[in-house]
Amino acid sequence: MERVLTDFVKALRNVNIRVSPAETLDATEVLEKVGFENRELLKNTLSLTLSKTPEEKEKFNICFNDFFREKLSSEEAAITEPPSISSEQHANSELANQLLEESYADVQLSISKAGEEAEIREIKYFTQRSVFSRRILDIMGVGNLEEELAVLGKINKDGMPSDLEQQLRNELTHLRERVSDYVQQQFLLHGDVTGEQLREQVFKSMNMGQIDRSYLHEVHSLVRKMAKKLANMHSRRKKNFRRGKLDIRKTIQDNWVNQGILFKLRWSYKKVDRPKILVICDVSGSVGAYARFMLMFLFSLTEVVSKIRAFVFSSHLGEVTDEFKSSNLEHSIESALSKYGGGSTDYAHAFSDFVSLCINEIDKKTTVVILGDARNNFGPEKAELLKSVYERSKQVYWLNPEGKYRWNTGDSVMNTYSAYCTKVFECGTLEQLERVISTLLRTAI
Amino acid sequence: MSRGPAKAIEDITEGFAKHQYICSEQISTAVYLANELEKPILIEGPPGVGKTELANTAALYYEKELLRLQCYEGLDETKALYEWKYGKQILYTQILKEQMQEVLEGAKGLRESLERLSKFEDIFFSEQFLESRPLLQSLTSTEGNVLLIDEVDKADEEFEALLLEILSEFQVSIPELGVRKAVVKPLVILTSNNSREIGDALKRRCLHLYIPFPDAKLEREIIKARVPEISKRLQVQLVDFVQGLRELDLKKLPAISETIDWARTLIILNADELNQDLAKSTLNVLLKHQQDIDVVQKEVPRLVMASDG
Repeated sequence: MERVLTDFVKALRNVNIRVSPAETLDATEVLEKVGFENRELLKNTLSLTLSKTPEEKEKFNICFNDFFREKLSSEEAAITEPPSISSEQHANSELANQLLEESYADVQLSISKAGEEAEIREIKYFTQRSVFSRRILDIMGVGNLEEELAVLGKINKDGMPSDLEQQLRNELTHLRERVSDYVQQQFLLHGDVTGEQLREQVFKSMNMGQIDRSYLHEVHSLVRKMAKKLANMHSRRKKNFRRGKLDIRKTIQDNWVNQGILFKLRWSYKKVDRPKILVICDVSGSVGAYARFMLMFLFSLTEVVSKIRAFVFSSHLGEVTDEFKSSNLEHSIESALSKYGGGSTDYAHAFSDFVSLCINEIDKKTTVVILGDARNNFGPEKAELLKSVYERSKQVYWLNPEGKYRWNTGDSVMNTYSAYCTKVFECGTLEQLERVISTLLRTAI
Repeated sequence: MSRGPAKAIEDITEGFAKHQYICSEQISTAVYLANELEKPILIEGPPGVGKTELANTAALYYEKELLRLQCYEGLDETKALYEWKYGKQILYTQILKEQMQEVLEGAKGLRESLERLSKFEDIFFSEQFLESRPLLQSLTSTEGNVLLIDEVDKADEEFEALLLEILSEFQVSIPELGVRKAVVKPLVILTSNNSREIGDALKRRCLHLYIPFPDAKLEREIIKARVPEISKRLQVQLVDFVQGLRELDLKKLPAISETIDWARTLIILNADELNQDLAKSTLNVLLKHQQDIDVVQKEVPRLVMASDG
């Protein structure tokens, strides 16, 4: 009983449901109460103890059905399979005889044996399932059976398959299903998530410009995950500022009426200001890909950032905040990029647009983040515009997706602009981006 | 033994139904397990599906007192657990001033006075001056009770940490008085609207129950139990209409409580079947955002037609 439970917990962990040892113990206790007999009850109780978010519950249901399917089908089989050999013909191959004569459990046993021989424990990815099914079937001798079926088919020239052939074919289909169920179950047990973790690791440390578009969806969910982690971290940290403190001045003032005896205590609460962030992204060809991830990241952080406005530019600058507030982030990013991207970069023009748009919005609580490679196509720099922004704001961050060694080469004027930035970062990979945004949140409050 | 739990769960379902709470098997299983394992239940789900009501009904069913702690931002242990009655302490020191004088009479020097005083010090930090708040009340009550910690997601994370000791050990430590252990373990029900993620530590100590919007069958039963005077036809139409609404893309989907309100409204209006005009004029009972009402106005003919079929 406990063995089944631990196997099941392992399967749950493989589909990314986090189950702690304490919860496993709870589940054991629960099982002692309810037992295994009632499937629906079992499912409800385990779901209550092991899965703790709506998403996990959904995954749990699927996993439960997969895991306990075999048990169910064995019950079905016991009813639907009458052991009958009515044919006068005899089966030759070993497997055929086995299928016709042996009980359900025996066949299951030989499937498991074949599975062990096929080293099913090594299964890692779901794409390997068919390979392993085939391998197990081969070990069990399906090849011979198929040959025999072919021979049987030839004998019956009149086109009507004999009873034996019909029965064998049915058995074979049934066997295939059972083997694939078995492999599925084993995959749940042994296939682990290291593959996925590896991919995430690669995406994180890969240069964002190099990530292929076909992976965008996966990367997006990764970004959301990272953003959520950051949001959790910073919302917690933020709370520490709000500890109540005895407000001596107010307390004494309020208690004058009581001859200065402090009846009523007054507490002071520090109000938390959530940061205001203005983002300016270069979306011209070379930097567009980075802008995409940057915006994805920031707009997944709305929980901790009260006010965020986004501007994109290549030659002229426009605000895209409203587009991003909508539900479909991926789509809105695409449309923003295609609307403003493509032109040649003109920082001077973009800055003057930005200043005329919202210089009055910038105050000492505002953080301005600029994402760009500072490649100005040898145009005018107009650094004084950036200076005016710098002077009004709390801080200006410049994120440059290029490696540091390439700054100030060719038409890059990073040096000029960095004079008016609180900090400049190299920001080419998701990991670097995460670090930068974490710093940003810490300093922006 | 094997029939035991299934039977007990059925009993709970029936018992709850007597108090007009129609619950799915999931819910009654959760209540059964919470009672058997003495574990708290954390209930999540959209607003208005009966999370708080579940606690009320559980209190009625087990015939125990319901203690309710409403969580909000800034809630701390002085509001949730206990507080010293500062005012009373100060008043008493004033009144007892003379007695103190007597105690101190003849004492030579500061040291001796202090020694004498220290013998009495604890008086002011005793049960007499302890103001129990819901959590402590729940632990100290001798009859057992149902403790509802409502909307725990609204409280700060520090508060969650405070709950951990209470929920797993059913005890609290008061520095001045020592550890207080529960006399009779209460049935604890926590609810959350998911406005933020509840910490893993808290989740781990609880059974986790998710109550979704009910399916049509369950919702009809709920309406029947809550608004018994409704006609059969109207009841079916109403539920189908609301179920249809939930498929639309709305800011706030109508929950069971809204369906019940709507049913009552229609009863007051003496309606015995649903038509387009009636639905349009009473939409504001179901929907709480003007944009939602605007969206639905256009869909009303279709929805009414569908609920007729």
